[in-house]
Amino acid sequence: MTRAVDPVLQGLRETLLRMGSRAEAILDKAVQAVIDRDAELARQVERDDLEIDRLDVQIDEAVLLALALQAPVAADLRKVVAVKMIATDLERVGDLARNIAKSALRLSLHPEVPVPLVLVRLARSAQRMLHGALDAYSGDDPEAARAVLAQDDEVDRQQDEVVRSGLQEITGRPEVASQGVDIIFVAKHLERVADHATNIAEGVILVTEARNVKHASKLGA
Amino acid sequence: MTMPARSPEPVERPERGGLERSAPAPGAKMSARGVSVTYDTTLAVREVDLDILLGEVTALIGPSGCGKSTLLRCFNRMNDDIPGCRVTGEIRLDSDPIYGSGLDVVQLRARVGMVFQKPNPFPKSLYDNVAYGPRIHGLATRRAKLDEIVERSLVRAGLWEEVKDRLQEPGTALSGGQQQRLCIARAIAVDPEVILMDEPCSALDPIATAKVEELIHGLRGSYAIAIVTHNMQQAARVSQRTAFFHLGELVEYGSTAEIFTNPRVQRTSDYITGRYG
Repeated sequence: MTRAVDPVLQGLRETLLRMGSRAEAILDKAVQAVIDRDAELARQVERDDLEIDRLDVQIDEAVLLALALQAPVAADLRKVVAVKMIATDLERVGDLARNIAKSALRLSLHPEVPVPLVLVRLARSAQRMLHGALDAYSGDDPEAARAVLAQDDEVDRQQDEVVRSGLQEITGRPEVASQGVDIIFVAKHLERVADHATNIAEGVILVTEARNVKHASKLGA
Repeated sequence: MTMPARSPEPVERPERGGLERSAPAPGAKMSARGVSVTYDTTLAVREVDLDILLGEVTALIGPSGCGKSTLLRCFNRMNDDIPGCRVTGEIRLDSDPIYGSGLDVVQLRARVGMVFQKPNPFPKSLYDNVAYGPRIHGLATRRAKLDEIVERSLVRAGLWEEVKDRLQEPGTALSGGQQQRLCIARAIAVDPEVILMDEPCSALDPIATAKVEELIHGLRGSYAIAIVTHNMQQAARVSQRTAFFHLGELVEYGSTAEIFTNPRVQRTSDYITGRYG
């Protein structure tokens, strides 16, 4: 028997996955704009982010209607709530990609400095985590979600390394201070992307296992 | 799914949230204008304007005694059978008034079917329960045609697979939920245009309720359906339009999505959020 709530849940899921695809694409574009010093690619990111914002508003409205008209309970309720939680994280990823693109634009307008290899590794780590979290959501896979959570420490370490070497560069070569600052900004934005990926993974665990593992290390859960 | 835009409804009276009298909405299968109902000297329904649209389910909600069932019974003139009950105003089926026009009430009740709160199968076989209406309305005289109507109606009511091998068993032998679906099959066997449901699930368990709601969803495309329910979640799940009644008055009428996410009238908001009722 098809329940009245099933097509509603399916619609929410599809819209969220569409938003996830856009977020991954926009992040990839922003990272590539940094690596390639591509100003045009950087400008495209700002336009692309509008679509993510539109999907965010669409999901807001759809979640409200789902709660009001279907009064979901149990797993259905967790699924609806998780969609809103994850959409918020994806919207932030879009904003972070836009910020990365702004740094890419500035870098392209200044004399070139080599993009640190660790920054590229950090970018790929953050992208892998985001992709892994969305795969975990798509597959209702808590193990895959936990695998994403396990990658966060490495991202933090990579960010620290970029910041450390960036500060050294700025101190030793003040003429490239602007570029150094932007490299540090990009690293911090990528670390935030990874944080949002962990939030998404935590949302998957909430839906599939009815467990809230947010702040687990601090709360001793 | 996007938030519904505000319906371009007729002008609202802010103090009551009611509607200015207007022409029936496009797609209205039945329309009530200025309908009032009194029982002897008691005014039960006051000056109601309401449309029942083809292809949609319209839910009538409100606290006990608000007049929603009284109004529902006006649409197929069931109130005619209540001593001391007087109906004023106008109700049309398509463009034809159903009161005071010499209309055949029996024919009206074939076109405007009704399902009641308590399942009421006839003390006949399953087959004869469904075949009774087509027989007396002359829709079929040959056995083959009756068989076809009975099967089609039971299929549409989602009951065929469960009863096809025991059509000669009494209708009363079914479970409560099955009996209600049998009553729905009986109603649709005479090919109605409108189906009125007066709290059709209040006597059923949650699984039976879900099956009837699924059935309503499946029937919606072919009929104009009006359902009285005291279960607001049910109204939210099954209907596209909702009419909120209080003390005999239509307080607010609009798309179900609007009513349940952002009602315009405070009384509506108070009722659906459980502040009274």
